[in-house]
This record gives sequence, C-alpha cells and structure tokens, in this order.
Amino acid sequence: MSELALSLQDLVKDFDGKRAVDGISFSVRKGEILGLLGPNGAGKTTTMRMVMDIIAPDAGRVEILGEKFSEAVKDRIGYLPEERGLYRKLKVMDTLLFFGELKGMKAALVRERGRALLQQFQLQGYEEKKVEELSKGMAQKLQFIVTILHDPELLILDEPFSGLDPLNIELVKDIILERKRQGRTIIYSTHLMEYAEKTVDALVMIDNGRKVIDGTLAAVKAEYGHKFIRVQYEGDARFVKDLPYVRSWRDSGREMEVELDDLSRREQLLRDLLGRVAVNGFALSEPSLQNIFIRKVQKGAGA
Amino acid sequence: MKKLFAVVKKEYKVIVKKKSFIIMTVLTPVLMAGMMFVPVMLMKMGRTDKKIAVADYAGGYTQALSAKPQAGKAEKKGGFDMDAMDEQQGAEAAGRISFQQVEPAGRDAAALIKDYEQRVLKKEIDGLLLIPVDVKETRQVSYYSTSVSDFTTIKFIESTLRTAISKQLLLEKRIDPAVVDEATREISMETFKVKKEGTTKSDSGMDYMMSLFMIVILFMILINYGQMIMRGVLEEKTSRISELLIASARATQIFYGKLLGIGLAGLTQVGLWIILGAVLVSRFSGMVDSAILSFLTPEIAVYFVIFFILGFFVYAIPYAFIGAAVNTDQEAQQFASVLSVLIIVPYILGISAIQNPNSTLTMVASLFPLFTPILMFMRITTALPPLWQIATSIGLCVLTIWGLAWLGAKIFRVGMLMYGKKPSLGEMLRWVRYK
Repeated sequence: MSELALSLQDLVKDFDGKRAVDGISFSVRKGEILGLLGPNGAGKTTTMRMVMDIIAPDAGRVEILGEKFSEAVKDRIGYLPEERGLYRKLKVMDTLLFFGELKGMKAALVRERGRALLQQFQLQGYEEKKVEELSKGMAQKLQFIVTILHDPELLILDEPFSGLDPLNIELVKDIILERKRQGRTIIYSTHLMEYAEKTVDALVMIDNGRKVIDGTLAAVKAEYGHKFIRVQYEGDARFVKDLPYVRSWRDSGREMEVELDDLSRREQLLRDLLGRVAVNGFALSEPSLQNIFIRKVQKGAGA
Repeated sequence: MKKLFAVVKKEYKVIVKKKSFIIMTVLTPVLMAGMMFVPVMLMKMGRTDKKIAVADYAGGYTQALSAKPQAGKAEKKGGFDMDAMDEQQGAEAAGRISFQQVEPAGRDAAALIKDYEQRVLKKEIDGLLLIPVDVKETRQVSYYSTSVSDFTTIKFIESTLRTAISKQLLLEKRIDPAVVDEATREISMETFKVKKEGTTKSDSGMDYMMSLFMIVILFMILINYGQMIMRGVLEEKTSRISELLIASARATQIFYGKLLGIGLAGLTQVGLWIILGAVLVSRFSGMVDSAILSFLTPEIAVYFVIFFILGFFVYAIPYAFIGAAVNTDQEAQQFASVLSVLIIVPYILGISAIQNPNSTLTMVASLFPLFTPILMFMRITTALPPLWQIATSIGLCVLTIWGLAWLGAKIFRVGMLMYGKKPSLGEMLRWVRYK
C-alpha cells in the first residue's frame, strides 16, 4: 500500500500561450494536511483542477490514492471548487440526496449522515428550505457539507475559508482537523497564510506557476531559523533597514519584523533602537509563512 | 448506471414538483374539452345575434327568408352537436338571423339606403338587404352591412332567394306545387373519411381542428421542454455547479441523465393528458361528437407519444448545446430563437398542409429528421401515410438523435466548464475533437 495520497509530477498547463502551471511536482502523505499556498493567480486552482481531472494537463502525471485518476476514484474524493454553487431551487435535503447519490451513496445513508452534519453546522431545521432561501454563510456551510458528506479519504479544498465569517472559519478549521484525526488526507489552498500556519503539516508555496517552497511546516520554519525579531515601537524607525546586519525589514507602523544576519546581533539592534524610537516590546519570533514567502519571491525576482 | 439514475431522479423530481407542471397538466385537457364544447355553446347562445332589414320591393321574399329552417340539427336533438359546425352551418347561421320586413311603400330606394346606412353604423341593425322589383329578371340584390365577409350569411341569403325565385317561376308555369317542392328540396352532404381501418363518418372541419390542436400541443411541449433543458444546463454554468458535477460523475452520465430525466417528466405529462383526456371523453361521451371519438383513437395516442419522444430528443439536444455554449440568459435566448425557427418551419408547413397532407413537398419534408416529429405526426392524423414512410422517418430520426447525443456529450463536457468567454463556432468544433 502506497503511503502517498497524491503525487504530482512536472505538471504543466498553458492557457492561450501563457503558462499557468510550470512544472509543479509535490506529493502528499496519507493522513496529512497539506497547504497549497500562494498569491492570487499563482496557479493553485489550475493545479487542483488538473488533480481533479477537470482540465487535462499539457504535460506531467498525477497519481491519486495510489492510482491514475479514474471514475471510481471520484467517489473517494471530496472536492470543494473555488467557484461555489448549488441548485438554487433545490431543497437542502434534496441537495444532499442528489450529490450524495452522485457519489454512489445510498439514500438512507445520505439522510442519516446529512442530518448529523446539518446539526454539526447548526443548519438543523433547514432540511426543507430551498437553497435560495439560505443566507450566503449558510449556503457556504451547505456547500462544505456536500463536500464531506460521503466521508472521502481525500479532501481537496480550493480556498475553503474564502467568504466565511470568523466563526465559520473556526468551524471549517475544526472539521478539517477532525478529518485528520480520523486518518483522512486534506489538501487545501489559500492565499491567507496565517490560517495555514495554524493547521498544515506540510506546505507547498507556488508563485507564477512555479513551486518556490516545499516541505513540512517544521522543516520550512527551521530552514529560516529564529533569526527574526519582532519589535513594538513608536517613532520613525526607517533607519533600521539600512543597518548593516539587518537582512530584511518589514514595517507595519507600530510593529516591525526584523531579520538579522545572525541572531547574536539582537543586542546590537536593541542598542541602536533605544534613544531613537520608544520601544514597547522586543521579542524573538518565528518567521511567519507570509514573510518566508515574500522573502523567497523577492529573492527569486532579484536573482 | 447508479449515477445516471441519480441525475435522472433529480431532474425528474424538480420538474414534476413545479407548479407550472401541475397547472399545465391539468389545464391542457380542460382547454381541450373546452375547445370541443365551447363552440357549440357559443353558437347556441349567439343565435339571435343578427338583425337584417329587408327592403323587399318585389314582395314575398322576406317570408321565404324567414321560413327557411331556423335551427340546425343541434336544436332538434336537444344537445351539443358538433355536426352543426360544418355541413349545417348554413342553417345554423339562419338560426341566428332575424329578418325584418321594411315597408318600402312610396319610399325611394336611394333615400332608404341612406337612412339605413346610418342605422347600420349605429349598430341598430346588422345589415340591409335590398330586393328590387325586377329581381326575377336581373337576379340582382344588394346587401349593405359593416361586415360583408360573413360568407355563411351571404351564402344563405343567396341560396334561399335562388330557391324562392325558382319556385315562383315554376309555379307561374303552373307546375304542380308538390313537384315544385320536390324540385327545389335542399341537399345535405355527409362527409366520410376513407381510412385503412375502415371508412368512418367524419367531419372534415372537426378533423382539421383536431389535427391543428394536436400539432399546436406537440409544438408547444417540444419548445417548452427544450428550453427547460437549456435553462437547466445554463443554470449549472451560471451557478458554478458544473465543476462539482464533473468531479463526481462522467459528463455523459450527467448529460444523458439530464435528457432522460426531463424527457421522462415530459412523457409523464403527455401520459397524464392521455389518461385525463380518455376519462373526460368517456365520462362526457354523450356530449362529444362521434367525429372526435373517431379521431381520438389509441393509435393516435401511441403516435403522439412516439413523436413526442423523437421530437424531444431531436430538439432538446440542440437546446442543451446552447445552454452549454453560452454564459447568460440573453445569449441563450438569442440562440434559442434561431433554433425555434427550426421547429416553427415544420409547424407552419404542417398547418398549411393539413388540407393536402399527401403533397410531395409535405412527404419529403416529413422525412427530414428535424421536421419529422411535427410533420409526420400531422400526416398521420390527417391521412395515414404508407407504413414504410413512417418507419423510414422514425429510423432517420433515431439515427439523428444518436449522432446528436454523441456530439452533445462532448460539447457539454467542455462547454460546461467554460466560463465567461463566448466560444466561436470553430472553438466548438475543436471541443468535439477534445479527448
């Protein structure tokens, strides 16, 4: 039995002469949560669509749940497309029945599991309401239920958090973690890296159709080390970026993240700051994924 | 197979539960029944509608006009009788006309006409009939009315006057009045329809109406169900459901499931119509003319079902193409109107050919698969064509459907996932070759 839930090899896709995905390879181990990260337009959705065989790659190979993509494998995957949509005139339970049966489920099982999930998502009592009568948030939740209804081994979620309010983001995050505990594999894409940071086991960052970073969250963070200092301050701190031992500097006005050549220079930094700005806080910090990504992309562009 | 069935079930349930479906299913047989009964009732109610003033300078003709049978068979039978609609129409018309003698004494014809023109315009009377003194020689009468296209009335007046004059001439020649009566007796014509299964007493007017009615129904449901498919496919595109569908099942399963589900819903409606129609006809058979009963045979019902199914697939698949190829309702309507021309052509050909269903043009056109469903059905309802022609037309239709279904699944697969961009014809051809 293969340990891999998914593996992509050198996937390439062109749209009208423009390369949307340029030789992306990565693999996902079973039971893992993998985050596919990158800015809008990086090629995340195109990659996922190729994985789901919705569009055919121009080159490269996809192996999913140990086999080539087939009709049979569709029943073992839960896919949440980036473009959401349900039949507006269909009732909630009828919607679940249709998509459940389309995944090969028996009607009785759909009802049973559907009811439990509606309960979990606080949609109980809406079984006989039409989809068009639901609020946008409720429809999003229903869409998510449709995705996980058939208890898929592999969840492929394209931007699962977009359009959700903070409460529902927590809910979806909980469901993702719960699936993981049950041994399921989850792949999701997002451009909101702070969410990914809290859930993923491994991550792939892509930019402009190319993979820029790939590895477990721990490995990626370790590679960039604890060379970051977070400083809360008041005043004009622009001089910091010109200090010789500062490798990078990201300022948010009242807080800045400073990357040092060497962590031993942190005392030097503190001394340089004192007297020129009012320092309210000074701490070592792990690099955020966002920072790692920006650094990586900027370095790529500079090179 | 299970997935196909899931799609069929969903599509079927959605349509059958629609209010419009239920309303149409019940309303159509009621309308049909109405079409059978209402004309007779209207005729009875509107019987004394017409008032015609007769300026009879020759004398004696007003009585002749008024003496002619004032009511058709319908009244004598004391019930609804559709026969009254055709051969008895003259007599029926007479029943609705009252002739009023105008005393022309001393009045100049020109002045009288002037006076009555005003009264006609004021709708006090419907017309003025002027019979000159020398009518026997000139055979010339004048009729003044706002509507001179009322042929039944005009025919009735003409034939009554002719008979009256003939009688008078014969009597002047001292012919035995009994012989005169015999010589000027009216002729009534019964029409018979020659069919393979045996000649039946028929009514050409009734047959015409029934054929027309059936074709209108067929035309309406074909357009209705075709557009339903188009809107369904378009909804999946605009609501972004297509991607989810394709990720769950084969495009062919979704496409054929959709066609079958909506087709079955249509078939259910047609089946209910036939059952409801049969119940209505048998329940009220006493009130329905035998011409209708002889028209609504089980064979006609079977052919209606066959040509509904053929027509459904022949038109629904192109409608589904449109739904898959466009992105907005407006675009869909534009293309759909082009397609409806393809349905309107056989419809118009059919209506114009009802009275001459065996012309070469009609025969050839009815073998053209896109026209077959409506035209061949029209021919079957009017004059049963040779069996080989029916079989050939059905065979050609099935082949066409097979080709369209193959093409449709491909266009559907690609078109469904095409958002935002309007595809050119060349692009659509490329879709066919995709994969």
